[in-house]
Amino acid sequence: MDVLKKLEILADAAKYDVACTSSGVNRGAKAGQLGNALSAGCCHSFTADGRCISLLKVLMTNVCVYDCAYCASRCSNEVPRAAFTPRELADLTISFYRRNYIEGLFLSSGVIKNADYTTELMIQTLQILRQEYRFNGYIHAKGVPGASPELVDQLGRLADRMSVNMELPSQKSLALLCPQKSKHSILSPMRQIRDSMAEDAESRSLARRNTTYLAQKAPRRKQRAFVPAGQSTQMIIGATPESDFQILTLSAALYQQMNLKRVFFSAYLPVNDDARLPQNDAIQLNREHRLYQADWLLRFYKFDVTEIIDQAHPFLETDVDPKANWALNHLDFFPVEVNKASLEELLRVPGIGAKGARMIIKARRTHALGESELRKLGIAYKRARYFITCNGSYGGTGVDFSREGLHAMLAAPIKGGRHGRRADKALPGQLSLFGDEVVGAAKPLLTQKPQPVLVLA
Amino acid sequence: MIIEEPVIELAYTYDGTLEGLFSAIFATYANHEQPLDVAPESVFQPRLGQEVRFIETNQEWAQRVARGIISAGKQGSFQAVRKASTSSDPQMGTIVYRFVRKLMKERRYLLNQLSDPVVGELFRLVRAVDNECEKMRQFVRFSHLDNGGWFAVCNPRDNVIPLVMNWFVARFNDQPFAIYDEVHHLAGVYEGRSWYLVSTDHIPAPAYSSEEDLMQEAWRLFYRTLSIDARYNPELRRQHMPVRLWKNLTEMQETLPTALVPARP
Repeated sequence: MDVLKKLEILADAAKYDVACTSSGVNRGAKAGQLGNALSAGCCHSFTADGRCISLLKVLMTNVCVYDCAYCASRCSNEVPRAAFTPRELADLTISFYRRNYIEGLFLSSGVIKNADYTTELMIQTLQILRQEYRFNGYIHAKGVPGASPELVDQLGRLADRMSVNMELPSQKSLALLCPQKSKHSILSPMRQIRDSMAEDAESRSLARRNTTYLAQKAPRRKQRAFVPAGQSTQMIIGATPESDFQILTLSAALYQQMNLKRVFFSAYLPVNDDARLPQNDAIQLNREHRLYQADWLLRFYKFDVTEIIDQAHPFLETDVDPKANWALNHLDFFPVEVNKASLEELLRVPGIGAKGARMIIKARRTHALGESELRKLGIAYKRARYFITCNGSYGGTGVDFSREGLHAMLAAPIKGGRHGRRADKALPGQLSLFGDEVVGAAKPLLTQKPQPVLVLA
Repeated sequence: MIIEEPVIELAYTYDGTLEGLFSAIFATYANHEQPLDVAPESVFQPRLGQEVRFIETNQEWAQRVARGIISAGKQGSFQAVRKASTSSDPQMGTIVYRFVRKLMKERRYLLNQLSDPVVGELFRLVRAVDNECEKMRQFVRFSHLDNGGWFAVCNPRDNVIPLVMNWFVARFNDQPFAIYDEVHHLAGVYEGRSWYLVSTDHIPAPAYSSEEDLMQEAWRLFYRTLSIDARYNPELRRQHMPVRLWKNLTEMQETLPTALVPARP
């Protein structure tokens, strides 16, 4: 089987992985080495669904011993199977990188034989890249649950970011849909990565600070930092009955306790016929969108998860975003004076983003800001006007300053927007006028079973 | 903020280079005039009854203006002016001119005054140019030539090749390459040690290496495969990846030859 065919099979199997970010580490270029890394990341292309392609996202192999209900590569599916050899994959990565197609490699894998064997294959690939080709670009490696700690450590010293998939938001769902994985097997590598990162950072800072009177001795070979871009995880939304409250509480806990850089959400998309899974629902893209908005509040807007959602209202509002919802529930906090408010206060105003708030603080040092200045800075004044005063004047007159009055002004259903316009046309479970097929139900991709093709490099 | 009103309807034109723009700015001081417009001669359309004066580029004047900008507003102001000057905005000359005048008058770092009408306009240009630089870092596509070099064609809105060469040279420091900007007819060339710019209309048909076709096919295949049909959202793609850049994107071309590069050998 040629590399092209393998690439097709293995990219197709990897496309449901959400994370494709190349962010989190700044590493300057070095003479004689290929590549560098930029903390903000860089997207090199965008697919027809508007998602970015930043990394060469492929599986090492889609052969898998596990049988997770939602996964297209599970062992009970009859799909074409393939595997890259480490050399093929490294060559492909370098060829793409030199053409500026990609920012690096995103290496995930099905579990072939066992977790350790799979991880060893991944390590081999990364070693070829880092040591033989002196590749200095970005590498994201998936931790395989159940791999031994020594191998995870070795992988982490070669990669920039690691991630262990949370898969599902609760232990119960995990037991139902992927019975071979357990909470423990997912959390223990996550913990190990967190601890090794902390240890690595501490030893580096000690070395920098010259804490000894003894003569400094340069290490024989400089060791790569352990997972310098941090770790992330992802979970599937909508395959199991967890509420937004559970999901957000879990992700907040992961940010705090596991020091994760990102938690990715992936709206469940039926690819398998399986009695344990919902089949007739539209993809919950809107829900995914709201969850990401809430996630941004946690990471960039200094919100606490208890401010966004509580047990009494376990699902996020559908017609207003979580930040606007907080503002509507805390009208006593508003209006704030843009020329005096602190960064934290500005970040709470609907219509003022993280960038806008910092620009306001910069700009107001020399000029008092009024409506036209705010508009020039790119603030969404249309939304912000109800919650701010500019030099004491309030621009939101004419609308009742109450939850109901402002709700009508802020309501922005995602359906009218750009997000997943086609995919979400149908309501969940809606029946069509003709025939008995269910409209909007994303059809399982594997209705006709393809002939099994087993090819191993 | 009061913008000083010009006494007579006057316009200065220059040859389109940064030195030319600086010379024109110098001339406004030398002649004690405050023109309403400052623009490259090739694109300028005079207003009704406007007097147009072409200013010859003078390296010494340009140097003095550059030094003046740095001494009044630090290196940061000079970099901002340099970035803004690559913009394709028809108002660019005037915006930079007004900024330099304000800077010379106040003699302090102005770039924090984002809501000021003069500084805000310059800031808008700088931001647009920065975005265009990022687009180039994202969407320049190299092809491998049979002589071992790498070649890319791009069509940026602003003349940003000089601004992004450092990035590409650092990243691909072990591969000699050239990036040709077909809009501004400018090529950035890196031969393995340092880079330089070549202003040219003529690019010889490149001879591609043997594996180039295969790799382009692999990339297109990867691109097609990664899309999820159930999430189809072309508006979002267009927003992130403007259609004007598609003709030089390997994955977006239906056929291999680009608008510039003739049929492949």
